[in-house]
Amino acid sequence: MRGLSVYPARKFLPLLILGPLLAAGAAASADPDRAWTALADNRPQDVLRQLRPDAPSRADRLAWAAARIGAQPATDGNMREAEAVLVELEQGTDELAAEAAYLRARIYQLHLNEPDFAKAAQLYAGLAQRQPGSHWAQLGLVKLGLLKLYLLPDVSGPGADRLAAAEVLLARIQEPLLRRDLNLQIGQAGIALNQPQARFLPHLIAAEQAGGVTGNAQEDLIVQIGVLSERGGDWARAREYFEKYLAAYPLNVRAYAIRRKLAEVNHRLAQEGRP
Amino acid sequence: MRKPRARSLGFGLLAAGYVFAVFWVFTRSEPVVASRPVTIRIAHWQIEKGPPDGVDAVIRRYEELNPRVKVEQVLVPGRVYNQWMRTNLVGGTGADLIEYGVWLDGLTDIPARYFEPITDEMLRPNPYNRGTALEKVPWVQTFTDGLLNQRVNAPDPGQFYAATVTEVSERLFCNRDLLRKITGSDRPPRNFAELRALFQKVADYAARTGEPIYTLAGARDNAAWLMQYLMGGAMMQSSQRNDRHGTLSLYTWDEIGLYLEGRWSYRSPEAKAGLTMMREISMSMKPGFLQSLRDAATQEFLRGDAVFIFAGTWDGTSIRSLSTFPIDVLRFPQPTRDDPVMGPYFFGAFADGGGGTAMEFYLNKQSPHKAEAIDFLHFLTSVEGNQLFTDHSGWLPSVREVKVPADIEAYKTPLDCYSFGAEYMLMGSTVSEAIYRNLYLLTDTHGSVDQFVDAIEREMPAAARADLGKEVSNRAITVRPQDVRIVANAALGWRAPQDASLQVARERLESSQTQSEALMLQLGRQLAIAGPAR
Repeated sequence: MRGLSVYPARKFLPLLILGPLLAAGAAASADPDRAWTALADNRPQDVLRQLRPDAPSRADRLAWAAARIGAQPATDGNMREAEAVLVELEQGTDELAAEAAYLRARIYQLHLNEPDFAKAAQLYAGLAQRQPGSHWAQLGLVKLGLLKLYLLPDVSGPGADRLAAAEVLLARIQEPLLRRDLNLQIGQAGIALNQPQARFLPHLIAAEQAGGVTGNAQEDLIVQIGVLSERGGDWARAREYFEKYLAAYPLNVRAYAIRRKLAEVNHRLAQEGRP
Repeated sequence: MRKPRARSLGFGLLAAGYVFAVFWVFTRSEPVVASRPVTIRIAHWQIEKGPPDGVDAVIRRYEELNPRVKVEQVLVPGRVYNQWMRTNLVGGTGADLIEYGVWLDGLTDIPARYFEPITDEMLRPNPYNRGTALEKVPWVQTFTDGLLNQRVNAPDPGQFYAATVTEVSERLFCNRDLLRKITGSDRPPRNFAELRALFQKVADYAARTGEPIYTLAGARDNAAWLMQYLMGGAMMQSSQRNDRHGTLSLYTWDEIGLYLEGRWSYRSPEAKAGLTMMREISMSMKPGFLQSLRDAATQEFLRGDAVFIFAGTWDGTSIRSLSTFPIDVLRFPQPTRDDPVMGPYFFGAFADGGGGTAMEFYLNKQSPHKAEAIDFLHFLTSVEGNQLFTDHSGWLPSVREVKVPADIEAYKTPLDCYSFGAEYMLMGSTVSEAIYRNLYLLTDTHGSVDQFVDAIEREMPAAARADLGKEVSNRAITVRPQDVRIVANAALGWRAPQDASLQVARERLESSQTQSEALMLQLGRQLAIAGPAR
């Protein structure tokens, strides 16, 4: 009986000793794709187990910092640890440096318990100055635009034209999809900030023409341009967008109201001799 | 001689037993250990008559098509659903697919925290629609409403989160025998003026006969649906006036923001008109009905104690299958332009249900079998799967091309009326709680419109701020983790430039994050301008 109970343990003893060592070895030579896949899949804790902040590879250190930002609980202490790594990584001229600088700005805008919007804006602006062609600098300009539209005190006067501050940034964004996104947000902010229609409608139209707006915003945008054009007396454009809506969403619940509006607009155009 | 005969009999029995065993093994038996390596669970609260049978039928067919997957249906009563969902999600034991509704009390943070977007899948065709007219149609556009309600309520406006199973509307179910007994005719009221006249006839009949008959069966739920419907119609002009975005619909966050800006209130004449109508109808329900839930109203109607019940089509299968009298399904008689109460604010016919789809299922972020869960959701909302659900549940389909059985055709809301998406009952959980808490002031015999308005207007400023604050924090919960996913998708994309899907995923995520972030800033600004409640 004694022999029987000991034998299996003896047999597997080398495996029991070697197993954890093999596992540890596997973790040491981490596959970067595995780390990024884990982050893309919302599993930052897996990456923190796999990588260290002083990993030899810059890409690994960036993945560690991203994981630190994403891990729960999200504390200011964790953010400071991530920032320390990002500050070191942003000392370069490659895309990785730009990515690190962008993430650092995001910490100040979004991840600290008490955000520091002015500091975030300063970091976005600095990145755009150093590496204007980088995707991260371009994306940072979109985020900077949002801050200027709604928050930053440099355009806080009661009569301040917040749209103009964002429009200046728009001119510096070369990537079409990011231009589209900022155009869309300038347009929406124009409504929220009670600006005259002529100031914001062109931005909405530009966003719609760029195409590919995600989620419900695309459907809303087509209705918006039609309705706002109708309110502004631009019957032809209103008709164009109402027809576009009915072609794309003939059965959706707004179709009844749009059909009635289209009939009204057609009547107006007929009255003006433009059937 | 006897021995060989007995032996033959024994062999014969043995052979028969063997043949029977072979037949059983190959046709009936189930393995002692489950042979399906993957089990997914789908949880919902639709335990009325109908939906469980519908989902079962879909599961049976799905398991035939997918021998490696077992699907379990988890039925959770509505009374405990909120607690059940919260505790299971927090404990990491939630089902793979979970029904959720934005109106559930105190659960507005759930989608952002625990559900995963299914945007990529929504933009591709549903593979189970192969060979149908929807074969090449993106999944989202295969739904009869294009998933409008779910998109409106998504925690992230740039993402899709849920797929729906059924179209819902609200209808007036009529006890034809009782109507004839009281009025001498089968003809139901065609407009609100005729319904008013009927209120009086029913009251006279009850007084004359001593029978406890009311025009409408009453309960808290049914009253809430009715009030939501009436307020949507009464406030249509106001909603249109406040549609500054020009979207021909109002999001709940926008309604709350508009309230804080003083652009509408329950003191406005149009709101009071809607409340007056609600009070008028309440007086034709059993006193004290707010104390009971919808099951009590259904029982009241089925006992023959009420001529009508105003209910969602989700109660239709129960009501019709349990009744002992003929039932007609009607649209609620609407007020007209010459109505003495609502006439001055009349905008047009308004939707009773709006044609939106519901019974929405979300993908649990923690599901260990996401691919299989999405695959089942695809089947459930394919033409074949949704037809099975419809045929076995008696509920309307949510998917185009599914044939609607003749007996539920009356549930469908044709596109013949305005639907503005504006809610004046369910703007946010704190506001809704305040309304429910004070509703007795409107519906009680000793209450009044003014008593209700005074009470709700006292609570609204703080409640609206609380709900707008929740909107901001829910958006933050959604937006923050996206930073990490964006840089991860970028890194993976640069390592595998041949895989265009990674670039598309990053671009889409960046775009939807910008939308959410902008909205969060906009709502935060509204809150800041509104200042603290006084």
